Amino acid sequence: MTQRISKYQRLKMMNPILQFFRFIYLSIKILIVVAGGHGGTRNIKSSTSSS
Amino acid sequence: MAKIVVLGAGISGHVAASHLRRKLPKEHQVMVVSPNSNYQWIPSNIWVGIGRMKSKQILFPLAPLYKKKHIGFKQAKAVTFHPEGDVTENKPYVLVEGVVGDSKGKQEKVTYDYLINATGPKLNFEATEGLIPGTNSTYSVCTYTHADHAWEGLSALIADMKKGKKAKILIGTGHAKATCQGAAFEYILNVEQELRRHKVRDMAEVTWISNEYQLGDFGMDGMLLSYGDMTMKSHEMVEMIFEDRDIKWILGAGVQKIENGIAHYENLDGEKKSETYDFAMLIPSFSGHGFKAFDKNNKDITDKLFKGFMIVDANYSPKPYEEWSVQDWPETYQNPSYKNIFAPGIAFAPPHSISKPRKSKNGTEIFPAPPRTGMPSGITAKLVADNIIDTIKSGKEQLHHKGSMGNMGAACIASAGFGMTSGSGVSITTYPIVPDYEKYPKTQGRQLGKTFGEIGLAGHWLKLALHYAFIYKAKMKPFWWLIPE
Ligand SMILES: Cc1cc2nc3c(=O)[nH]c(=O)nc-3n(C[C@H](O)[C@H](O)[C@H](O)COP(=O)(O)OP(=O)(O)OC[C@H]3O[C@@H](n4cnc5c(N)ncnc54)[C@H](O)[C@@H]3O)c2cc1C
Repeated sequence: MTQRISKYQRLKMMNPILQFFRFIYLSIKILIVVAGGHGGTRNIKSSTSSS
Repeated sequence: MAKIVVLGAGISGHVAASHLRRKLPKEHQVMVVSPNSNYQWIPSNIWVGIGRMKSKQILFPLAPLYKKKHIGFKQAKAVTFHPEGDVTENKPYVLVEGVVGDSKGKQEKVTYDYLINATGPKLNFEATEGLIPGTNSTYSVCTYTHADHAWEGLSALIADMKKGKKAKILIGTGHAKATCQGAAFEYILNVEQELRRHKVRDMAEVTWISNEYQLGDFGMDGMLLSYGDMTMKSHEMVEMIFEDRDIKWILGAGVQKIENGIAHYENLDGEKKSETYDFAMLIPSFSGHGFKAFDKNNKDITDKLFKGFMIVDANYSPKPYEEWSVQDWPETYQNPSYKNIFAPGIAFAPPHSISKPRKSKNGTEIFPAPPRTGMPSGITAKLVADNIIDTIKSGKEQLHHKGSMGNMGAACIASAGFGMTSGSGVSITTYPIVPDYEKYPKTQGRQLGKTFGEIGLAGHWLKLALHYAFIYKAKMKPFWWLIPE
């Protein structure tokens, strides 16, 4: 059965104070994924870079 | 002195040109050729299409910026490629055609030492009969002019609903092999929220139509993601959102024909069906621009450069789905026949789709083409620029900068409604973009933790912050390069 968004979850999703902290947390988390670098897949050892 | 010509001034072309200019000494020439006089931050077209942003907020003219930054600019479109020159021109060149003023229709040879083809996709509306933005009550949000039209159509419908009209709204993909489901997903959630804001939500039936096999496929074969302290499949997350917003869905649908207010489609069971609507926003299929290429003796060599999109260092050998590998995906975006030509962003030909290919019982292929979103477009453009810079500076070919979509993360902040206190966003990150089933066999090819989803107001703020940050970066304001792609 499809998961539902409960009233409590919705309150948390739209609470500006809680969301302000989520904003900071998400920004950092996304930066980590993005700044985590990128590289090739064919010869990973020599090709990983974060250009 | 080297001359680098960049075709296209979208996310990838503009990123490449700006990094080249910043890092290369002035004696080297950087020139951009693009038919549009403006730069547009395409992701914010969603908000133009719901009337919450004006198109002028998401664009700026390129010519003054390029003049100030010593980047050459030609408002023209590339027509043919001549990577060996011709009998009268020794240097490789691109034949371009002016699109405005005195140069309109006039063709000219633009020679280069290095060529970056960043022409993105052709919005191939013609591939679906009757799918013409602004007619047959169908719209698009793929460009700012399309988004302006979409808002005109939607606001007229909202006005009718306020007078008591019941309406059907259909949003999704307008072709059996369309991509960019993410943009349509954002638009449907934004439209739904606007209907509530205008207090007409109960007058409308809102339906998602898509070529995806499951919700949340997004052309990336879906994903297993961390959601709070749960592990969830992306289809479960999107189902939860659609249920919450009372949005219906039709999946595995290849839209084949549009008549005024009717979308005809075939589904994976091979059934031919139709769906009526009062307003539709359907993403067209994306294709290459149909460029031709010629050698020195004017012999057609299009197949050395193009396979729809541009051929790069990918493994294009046809093979069954089970044998697809992450190593098939390109790393340097260099054309194998002409090493001074590169194609980052959407302009390169992907080796295969990311979603599992599926056929209807009639043999019609119905599945999403692989998306190349803004972040990988920017990253691939920057690495292409860096390799060219290193090559010019060292005097010999350098390809140290690599970035396969199989070893690159992407963040997708999908707007789910506009408003500083009432807005919402679905923040999703994926690592890697192309699943690596060998490295992450138990988590559908992706690294959990780096692949996560989150819903809430913070997502809206994040999307808005990115809007301002990326326009700041594109305007090349002080320290713009510190903002990552
Ligand atoms: C509505 C919408 C919302 C989106 N939202 C997001 C999002 O939230 N996040 C995200 O990451 N991605 C998003 N995307 C995807 C993102 O916009 C693309 O990944 C990105 O624009 C691709 O960049 P590109 O430079 O390769 O192509 P484009 O941006 O399409 O640029 C192509 C350029 O080439 C020029 N050109 C075309 N023909 C020629 C020619 N013959 N000669 C020379 N130049 C030519 C065009 O004028 C343009 O300047 C969205 C896309 C859409 C449509």
